[in-house]
Amino acid sequence: MTARKSIPFSRVRRLAVIAGHAFTQLVRMKVFYFLGFFAVIGIASNFFNLPQQSGPEALGDNGMDLLRLIKSWSLGPMTLFSVVMGIVSTALLLPKDVEDRTLYTILAKPVPRLDYLAGKLMGVLLLLFVSLALMDLLMVIMLQVRLSIVLEVQASLGQSRGWDAAAIESLRQDTLAQGPTWALQGAVAAVFIRSAIMAAIALLISTFSSSTLFTTVVSFLIYFIGHFQADARDFYFEGGEAGTSAASRYLAMSVSLVFPDFQLFNVIDAVIQGKTMQLIQFVKLTLAGLYYVAVYTIASWFVFSDKEF
Amino acid sequence: MPAVEIRHLVKDFKTSLKRQPLRAVDDVSITIEAGEVYGLIGPNGSGKSTTMKALLGLVVPTSGTCSIFGKDSLKVDSREDVGFLPENPYFYKHLTGAETLEFYGKLCGLRGAVLKDRVSELLALVDLEGARDRRIAGYSKGMLQRIGLAQALVQEPRLVILDEPTAGVDPLGSRQIRDLILKLRDRGITVFLCSHLLEQVQEVCDQVGIIFKGKIVKSGRLQDLIAIEDQTEIILKDAPPELVAEIEALVKRSGSAEWLRSGKPRTTLERLFLRETSGDES
Ligand SMILES: Nc1ncnc2c1ncn2[C@@H]1O[C@H](COP(=O)(O)OP(=O)(O)O)[C@@H](O)[C@H]1O
Ligand SMILES: [Mg+2]
Repeated sequence: MTARKSIPFSRVRRLAVIAGHAFTQLVRMKVFYFLGFFAVIGIASNFFNLPQQSGPEALGDNGMDLLRLIKSWSLGPMTLFSVVMGIVSTALLLPKDVEDRTLYTILAKPVPRLDYLAGKLMGVLLLLFVSLALMDLLMVIMLQVRLSIVLEVQASLGQSRGWDAAAIESLRQDTLAQGPTWALQGAVAAVFIRSAIMAAIALLISTFSSSTLFTTVVSFLIYFIGHFQADARDFYFEGGEAGTSAASRYLAMSVSLVFPDFQLFNVIDAVIQGKTMQLIQFVKLTLAGLYYVAVYTIASWFVFSDKEF
Repeated sequence: MPAVEIRHLVKDFKTSLKRQPLRAVDDVSITIEAGEVYGLIGPNGSGKSTTMKALLGLVVPTSGTCSIFGKDSLKVDSREDVGFLPENPYFYKHLTGAETLEFYGKLCGLRGAVLKDRVSELLALVDLEGARDRRIAGYSKGMLQRIGLAQALVQEPRLVILDEPTAGVDPLGSRQIRDLILKLRDRGITVFLCSHLLEQVQEVCDQVGIIFKGKIVKSGRLQDLIAIEDQTEIILKDAPPELVAEIEALVKRSGSAEWLRSGKPRTTLERLFLRETSGDES
């Protein structure tokens, strides 16, 4: 009789609809252009000090320092932007639907509450992914441009100073490691994973808080706890070696089951320094990301499924 | 199978820790047969919206059960055959009228050409074709109610639930909405609406229930409830005064009935307003 019955109802498609909608909603909120604008400025400002630094200083450490600087100045704004945006946009979405009562109209359709939550989160993740991909592209282009300049200067200087081919080649390899590598893409993925975890945390908090501000503040607190819990744990265990009981180890373990341990993400700094990222490290990060996002989404669902509006 | 079955619904809301919970709905039972228009009337705060939300699974009953076409309201699939227009609805500001309907249609699994046709059909039904590509942010109250009604109808549900569909809408818009409800009835769609605007309910409903402080105090067929059983009305057009006098004399002579009054019936202010503003002879 109705069209609805002749088409098989696919859950994936419904999730995509909710996610796509959340994505457009966020894109049309101008505040995020503003944030993105800052990140672009931050990355693009790397272009400005090109002339002074591409002279003879480009040889050796100076050239590599320059490349490191670009990476850290790019990944810094990317981290800041993605974490702030992941938290704030998630914290905005739910209270807005409750306040405008648009939530009634959605939940009055045959939409399971889990799909609603997961769809919203996926919309935020899509936004994070797209903006990080754009910034990543910008960073890679910049790095490539500078890298080729640095390599050129190195080669000509090396020859004029009569270095042997092995020395030039080894310097070249060292410099290439500072350019756009797979490890660098891994670091960008790590930035994305961390912001995804933060978005999922913000989702959980916003299911029981009705204010965006509260959600944002608590999420940032958890972000900092995530960064310092490993330090605190190390300090505690090293300081009181004798008194470290099994109980306190379990306590630390269970803390890290609930609060994400962002120590894993220190690999980003290592990549900026030119170290490579092992595949196993990347797999670990991805699994940790999936674990935390799934845990927080399911917890959100538990809170949200009993909620009345 | 009835379209709506609410059995002994009780809903308590926790207010503060100390005070005892507020009983918003107190042992309400309502059965609505398919194809009927049911009006729930009562003052503000009497539990109308809460009853509807329980029926849609938006709040969980403290006790009692609700079902739609036999499916338990607490299950998601009960919502496949129902459309809901909430009180003072508001939609995503960043979407246009057409995008709004597309969004809700997609949530119900519609897509492609079917969805497109459905959206155009609904926009025509609620007379918003002119505002199709305007953002919702610029819609008036009456337009919001109508796009809300269209949204409720998107998957062609057999039941629509309307919470105060005409509240806050000017007489013209309110007339349009009532005409829409009558159109739905003609198509055999069951309508469950609530309102505190009694004359409007009177005009469209087959069945009414009066709710007060969470309890249904009276319910039944509208015609039965409001008919004055021992009176008969005769309305004549262009009757000369002599004829009226003659009829009155006839009635008095017969002795089996009492002549109460005669005079000119008054049009309602609403009808006058509509006639003056739209040239419509209703
Ligand atoms: N979420 C809620 N929390 C607490 N009290 C509520 C809630 N929703 C409704 N109420 C109370 O329940 C009563 C009935 O409300 P409602 O169903 O909205 O009435 P109506 O729609 O008839 O105006 C009111 O006293 C209202 O204050
Ligand atoms: Mg109400």
